Amino acid sequence: MLSSLIKYSFRKFKVSETKRHELNYLFWECTTRCNLNCLHCGSDCSKNSVNKDMPAEDFFEAIDTIKRIPQNFTVVFTGGEPLLRKDLELCGKELRRRGFKWSMVSNGHLYDKERHISLLNAGIGALTISLDGLKESHNWLRNNEKSFDKVMNAVQLAASSNRLNFDIVTCVNQRNINELEQIKKLLISKNVKAWRLFTIIPIGRAVHNPELLLTDNQLVQLMDFIAACRKSKEIDIKFSCEGYVGKYEPLVRDSFFFCRAGINIGSILIDGSISACPNIARSFSQGNIYKDNFYSVWDNKFQPFRNRDWTRIGQCKTCKDFKDCQGNGLHNWHGEKNNVLVCHKEKIETATYREHR
Amino acid sequence: MKRNVIRQIVGGLSLTSAMFVFQACYGTPQDFGLDLLIEGQVKSKTSGLPIKGIKVSVADNMQYTWTNEEGEFSFYTEMLEELTLRFQDVDSIKNGLHVDKDTVLTDLSKDIYLDIVLEEK
Repeated sequence: MLSSLIKYSFRKFKVSETKRHELNYLFWECTTRCNLNCLHCGSDCSKNSVNKDMPAEDFFEAIDTIKRIPQNFTVVFTGGEPLLRKDLELCGKELRRRGFKWSMVSNGHLYDKERHISLLNAGIGALTISLDGLKESHNWLRNNEKSFDKVMNAVQLAASSNRLNFDIVTCVNQRNINELEQIKKLLISKNVKAWRLFTIIPIGRAVHNPELLLTDNQLVQLMDFIAACRKSKEIDIKFSCEGYVGKYEPLVRDSFFFCRAGINIGSILIDGSISACPNIARSFSQGNIYKDNFYSVWDNKFQPFRNRDWTRIGQCKTCKDFKDCQGNGLHNWHGEKNNVLVCHKEKIETATYREHR
Repeated sequence: MKRNVIRQIVGGLSLTSAMFVFQACYGTPQDFGLDLLIEGQVKSKTSGLPIKGIKVSVADNMQYTWTNEEGEFSFYTEMLEELTLRFQDVDSIKNGLHVDKDTVLTDLSKDIYLDIVLEEK
C-alpha cells in the first residue's frame, strides 16, 4: 500500500517536473579533442578531432538568452577532455561573473596540482573523475599504461578540497566486475566520499567489444553489490540514472529512476546543436545555437523528451513497468528508434528467472 | 509560489531524498556554492604604485595566485569562518623588494575586495 502510494506520488512528481521543465543542468561539449583513446568511448573522440573547439563567446551568447536562471543552474564542461582547453578557467570565471555555477567531467589525465589550484581559483564547484578499475583493468579500458597513476593523483588532489563536490564514476565491465570490493576499499582509503557506477551500452567504440558489456547475471551482481554497500554506508554509492532497474529501483540510488534529459538537462554540443545529455543520439537535436535562440528552443521544443509516449514501441509496447520506466534512459534509443537498445529490467528479470529455474 | 508548494508536497510524498538535487547520468554532482570571491589590489606604501608578481596565498590551503600588472588579484576559495591571506614578494628584486604581510579575514559571508599596502624592505 505504502509502496504504491510512493510510486504514484513519484509518477505525479515526474509529470509536474516535465510540465515545469526548468533548465537546471546544462552540458557544454566544449571540445571533442581527447588525450586518451578509451575502448568504450561513446563519442569516438580523438586527439585530432575534426571539430574545432567551440569559441567561448559563442557559448556565452547562447546562454545569455536564458531568461529565468533557476537557483541550482549549473554548467557542466564535458568533452572530449575539457582540460585540453587552455581557456577553461577563463570560461569558468566568466560563468561565475554571470552568476552561474560550473563543474567538469574529466578523465583526470591532465589534472595535476597546478591545474587543481587554477580550477579552484576560477570557481569550479563540482568534479567527476573516471576510475574504471584497479590498475590493470583501468589502464586496459583507458588504453593507456599511465592513466591509473595519473587518475589516482587527481583523486588525491580533488579529495583534499572541501570546496569541491567530487565523485568518482566507474564504467563496470567484464574485467572489473569482480574488483568492485577492492575498488571501494581503495576509494575509501583515498578519502573519496561518493562513487557512481555505470554500465556500458553498445554505442560508439563499445559496439565492437563484447567484453565491455555485462551479462544479465553480472548486472544482477552489480545491483546486489550496490544495494549491499548502500546498507553499510561506508561510501555514498549509487547506480547512475542510466536505466530503470525494476525490483532494484528503490535500493540502488537516492531516488527512483527518472531520465531528466530534456526536462531539466540540456546541452550545447560541439557543433552548436541544442540537445540533452551528450551521449544521446545526435538525431534528437532540437536546434542549433548558430541559427536559433537557445532558450526559446529549450522552452518551446524538446517534445520527444517531454512526451515519451513514442517509446511505447518494440518491447516497451507491452511492458507493465512502462509508467515507471518510460522507455529507459533516452541514450538507449538510436538509429530508427524502433526498440530500446538495452532494457536493464529485462536483463535483471532474465537472470533472476534463470536462477530460479 | 502555490505551484512550488504543491511540487514540494508531491516530491516529499515519494519519500526520496534526491528529488530536487539530481545529477545527470554522465554529469557531475551538484555544486552547493560553498565558496566566495576574494579580489583586490596590492600597492607599494612608498610609491603608491601597484605591485606585480606578489604571491597571494591562502594559509593552510594549497591555493594561491599572483598579482598582475595592475597589482590586482582575484580568486574563489572555500567559505570558512576565518581565513588568513598571505602576501609574499617572492620574485626577489624583479618588482622591488617588499615586506610580506598576512591579513586575517573574519567576515566571509560575502565576496570581499581588499586594498593591500606593502612596505618596501
